[in-house]
Amino acid sequence: MTDLRPIGLLAELTHRCPLGCPYCSNPLDLVRAGQELDTKTWTRVFAEAAELGALHVHLSGGEPLVRKDIAELVNAAHLAGLYTNLITSAVGLTAQSLTELRAAGLEHVQISIQGVDTARADAVAHHKGAAKAKREAAKLVVEEGLALTVNAVIHRGNIADVAAIIDLAEGWGAGRLEVAHVQYHGWAIANRASLMPAREDFLAAAKIVEDARKRLEGTLVIDHVIPDYYAERPKACMGGWGRQVIVVAPDGRALPCHAAATLPGLAFDNVREKPLGEIWTNSEAFQKFRGTEWMPKPCQGCERAEIDWGGCRCQAFALTGNPATTDPVCALSPDHQKMREMATADAASTNGTYRFRRIGG
Amino acid sequence: MSAADAKPRLAPGVKLRDDAQGSKLLGPERILELDEIARAIVAQFDGQKRVSDIAAALAKEYDAKAADIQVDIEHLLKDLTAKGYVKS
Ligand code: SF4
Ligand code: SF4
Repeated sequence: MTDLRPIGLLAELTHRCPLGCPYCSNPLDLVRAGQELDTKTWTRVFAEAAELGALHVHLSGGEPLVRKDIAELVNAAHLAGLYTNLITSAVGLTAQSLTELRAAGLEHVQISIQGVDTARADAVAHHKGAAKAKREAAKLVVEEGLALTVNAVIHRGNIADVAAIIDLAEGWGAGRLEVAHVQYHGWAIANRASLMPAREDFLAAAKIVEDARKRLEGTLVIDHVIPDYYAERPKACMGGWGRQVIVVAPDGRALPCHAAATLPGLAFDNVREKPLGEIWTNSEAFQKFRGTEWMPKPCQGCERAEIDWGGCRCQAFALTGNPATTDPVCALSPDHQKMREMATADAASTNGTYRFRRIGG
Repeated sequence: MSAADAKPRLAPGVKLRDDAQGSKLLGPERILELDEIARAIVAQFDGQKRVSDIAAALAKEYDAKAADIQVDIEHLLKDLTAKGYVKS
């Protein structure tokens, strides 16, 4: 049992996407179109999330715009009382679709970019014309009077462009910019040696971001997601396991975090079979790492136990093979040194080829 | 423009929400809890009213000095502008 209330629902409407970003956080084993939840089920899930106390819904994917019922889904979430956020690559976002989405109750659009140089950005997106489509879509979003966030995932291939990325977001009229270093889940793990930046380059980029933050205060909100592998303390992944966010995968599995499906030995309930509230409160998966009782040393009794909740379970598993151990990002973890050495080796790698994300890949 | 003449409004994508748990501002990926006074002030941020008008109106409603309320409004306005919730 729990008194906790989720504040957000991350609705992964589909895993289909026209792009192929090598750092995509979707799992390697992508859900196929035929397994996706239908409009009616999503509509019920939105209502159940709002009833549970969720305030925001993040309509994400894959690329949510490939859903033919996207306007209907936005409207269902809006009518449920949720703040609607569309997380999109913007490929396929036209003036007409945007007007429809706005009428349906869309409040905020987050557009991801791969960089500032068109050719290089398109190469990372694995989609010719992506950069141009994003530029045009961003303009439409601002003209529609909708809030725009630009999301830039940072890695070795674009870390030198951070200043230019900030200028670009400001020039586009975004209200918010996410400078988000790659989080190593899903496809990003498979591409780690090609993505990992050097520590000095991260530090230089971080300084640029912090300076810009001050300079642009009141104009552009900048959220900075620093790379775990160069940190000393982990992040509270998803605000803590089963504390703030529910992820619903395209096939209806309810997950405490979008990478949770990679963890061994965890059974996930499906919203097709059970109401969201019951899953949140009682399911084995949501209870497994909720709170502090499951924690091993050094987390047990640590003063940060209820701040970072021991870090990310999926990262602990990816790096050590044990999901119930302290996140190696923490300098107090016995695995920290090994992780650092791995990051340094990856950063020094001359591997420049990517394994692009694709269904069946 | 002096702070008293500013006409604040909520930034695009920011919504004022009241529910059983209290009042808050919802924005992209963010939530800000508001106390009763902050809520009363923010509810007046419609892009039409000047800070000085809002101070006068709230002074009447709460039976307080307009000058004091204006200080509160300017303080809140500065904070919410820096955080990106409000534009003027
Ligand atoms: S990260 Fe790239 S490939 Fe993955 S869903 Fe987003 S746009 Fe598509
Ligand atoms: S020991 Fe555990 S709780 Fe303490 S800082 Fe490290 S990860 Fe967080």
